[in-house]
Amino acid sequence: MIEFKDVNKTYPNGVTALNNVNLTIDQGEFVAIIGLSGAGKSTLIRCINRMHEINEGTLTVNGVNVGKLRGKQVRRFRRKIGMIFQSFNLVTRTSVINNVLISTVPELSWWRKLLGLFPKAQKVDALEALDKVGILDKAYNRVDQLSGGQQQRVALARTIAQHPDIILADEPVASLDPVTAKVVMDDFKKINKETNMSILINIHHVELALEYADRVIGIRQGEVVYDGKSEDVSQDVLDKIYGSIDNVPKMEDQEEADL
Amino acid sequence: MNKSVQQQLEKAPNRTLYLSTIGIILAALLVWSFMGVNITGFDQRGTQIASNIFSGLFSPDLGFLFDFTSGGGVPSLLFETIAIAFLGTIFGSFLAIPISFLMSPSIVSRPVAFVTRLVVIFIRTIPSLVYGLMFIRVTGPGPYAGVLTMSLTSIGMISRLYVDVIENLDRSVLEAMTSMGCNTYEKIRYGVLPQLFSSFLSVTIYRYDMNLRDATILGLVGAGGIGAPLIFAMRAYRWSEVGSILIGLVVLILAVEIFSNKLRERLVNG
Amino acid sequence: MQHTIYDKIFKPKTYTLSNGKEVKQRASRVPLVLLIVLFITIVSWEVTNVDLSLLRTRGYQFIVILTDLFPPNWNFLSNIWGPLFDTIQMSLLGSIAGAILAIPFALLSSSNIIRNRVLNGFFKLFLSILRTLPTLISALIATFVFGLGTMAGTVAIFLFTLSYIGKLMYEHIENVDMGAFEAHESMGLTKVEAFRYAIVPDVLPTYLSVSLYAFEGNIRYAAILGYVGAGGVGLLLDERLGWRDYPSVGMVLLTLMVVVFVIERISEYFRMKLT
Repeated sequence: MIEFKDVNKTYPNGVTALNNVNLTIDQGEFVAIIGLSGAGKSTLIRCINRMHEINEGTLTVNGVNVGKLRGKQVRRFRRKIGMIFQSFNLVTRTSVINNVLISTVPELSWWRKLLGLFPKAQKVDALEALDKVGILDKAYNRVDQLSGGQQQRVALARTIAQHPDIILADEPVASLDPVTAKVVMDDFKKINKETNMSILINIHHVELALEYADRVIGIRQGEVVYDGKSEDVSQDVLDKIYGSIDNVPKMEDQEEADL
Repeated sequence: MNKSVQQQLEKAPNRTLYLSTIGIILAALLVWSFMGVNITGFDQRGTQIASNIFSGLFSPDLGFLFDFTSGGGVPSLLFETIAIAFLGTIFGSFLAIPISFLMSPSIVSRPVAFVTRLVVIFIRTIPSLVYGLMFIRVTGPGPYAGVLTMSLTSIGMISRLYVDVIENLDRSVLEAMTSMGCNTYEKIRYGVLPQLFSSFLSVTIYRYDMNLRDATILGLVGAGGIGAPLIFAMRAYRWSEVGSILIGLVVLILAVEIFSNKLRERLVNG
Repeated sequence: MQHTIYDKIFKPKTYTLSNGKEVKQRASRVPLVLLIVLFITIVSWEVTNVDLSLLRTRGYQFIVILTDLFPPNWNFLSNIWGPLFDTIQMSLLGSIAGAILAIPFALLSSSNIIRNRVLNGFFKLFLSILRTLPTLISALIATFVFGLGTMAGTVAIFLFTLSYIGKLMYEHIENVDMGAFEAHESMGLTKVEAFRYAIVPDVLPTYLSVSLYAFEGNIRYAAILGYVGAGGVGLLLDERLGWRDYPSVGMVLLTLMVVVFVIERISEYFRMKLT
């Protein structure tokens, strides 16, 4: 369970990213977070695994007060939270399986860490993760030989091999074409159903958000302006989130997505 | 574990043998070179000289360093070095133009390109100092020998880089010009030359940067430039003079490097 | 459009279109640049006493030496092996030591690894200054400090390799995409672990390739270092050129050519595999 209580976040340059956010997300929910670029979607997600610090309020994840964690505790805490990025953030000059194996690095002994020698059990685990996202046959290819959609699935496999409770996805399909985007979203849905991981996705494509997520959170200028079932999102709600009708992204609004 | 996962696991490429072979060869080579090189630490004399050089660097002969008038000071020596490198680069870059065309497989036939390539490799392998000595027989000691050496030694690299430019010409422009009804001369003048000019210039400026460094060592064989005064000053243990020359050298080369990088950036970005 | 002093002296041309719009074209810089180049050429010509007629009258002297190199003195080959191995050993040891020490220098210079501008700037400047010193001059200095012999040559090559690889590597490291590093941190890896698994795999192939390339070049440099007494075949070149024993010089050059060619092919093969 993720719980935001009166959370505020201001960047050193004075920009308010989160303003009095109160949210409760239960285990196993599939949540889409929508809003304009710069509304604070990315900040919201990154506070959950302490990639960003919050200034005020409390944020609890599975009973742990995130703000209180120090050094090693932060890293151990992050092990249970997976993260997916818009630009995949893979090591492109090495093989697919090596990327997936990185998720197990903290558990290795120091000499294995140094030499990059992974035990067989973990290799099997990594391959199974690749199998789940359907790119098992690419295991020994170099990442830069894969297409964008395949790379995002490698990133997804890397997260699965981490066996997290929560997956945070920051614009996971923004740099993919519409068809591939759907495939990746299907993967998210499947994982959500099969493993009961909570999934939080920042997303620009409103249609995709409404189609896949159970719950939609709308953010505007750091404030939660909508929180409810995806079926209940109406044009009025969208207007409230995006300001005027002009700002509402239509499907495949690539200009918005690339920001 | 399901079957396809099992299969993939077995397919894992095994590079342990390959990598360890390379590792052993490398280690053997390293041991071999340790045996060959006569490792000597700093002895008393060496330490003394090192500290002398350092103190020379920090208390340079200022009169010598800023002697703009007499013709024997650091500025005029540096100026001579600059001039040698400049003329050498100009000559070399002009000589490299025909050679580079003869080296491009897309311009001439393959055998011709191959033979020219061999000749250029041959020219490149002879160290510049040897050329310097050869040219001194022609011109007598002095900067002129340096200029000729620089011209010859820069041909190799310049023509190789020119070839890359020629091979990477954007031919779609020529297609467009053909469609507009241009003749061959017009295509070369307005389609090819503008593409070549700025890239060739960029290569030349880059080579000037390198030639300046090389020109400083030609003095060691008497082919002009700042190398000769440096070696004389060192042999005579005039450390403050050594310091002045080194400071002048470092400042000049750094300044030229920064300037040439700026210039090339502007050439590339238009 | 930004106006510089040049634009104030040479006014841009103005064209008026039929619809009243004005377009300004800056005066071309080409004439000025050509003028400057011409001026420097003339000055350099004077300074270096270039005299083309000398080439016509005495140019054959160059050919004389060149033809004297052939046929090479094959009997001299037995004298070459020792110094030749010295040259290879010098450049091997200097290159490996330089390449290894270049790692900490490159890391300390990279602003995305060590977030300390003063430290970055200091090491960058140090590498740049080191790079300005031609190998032969650092070898000359090293012969004074370490005495005549292979040690001086090794030090000179070591210093050059350090500066060369150090500079190329920090430029590469600073351009590494930090996305993977961020992802690894989000998975709970420490900064060191994230560095090992995000930056190292990205940088390692380039590092090895650059090191090989530096080694290739160093063999050439090492060949002339003997000229200032820093060991290797350069000693032979110096000696035989002094005695005008050109067939032996030819033999040294021929062996050198073969060695450089073979080493370049081997290194090229591995560099191809790395990319």
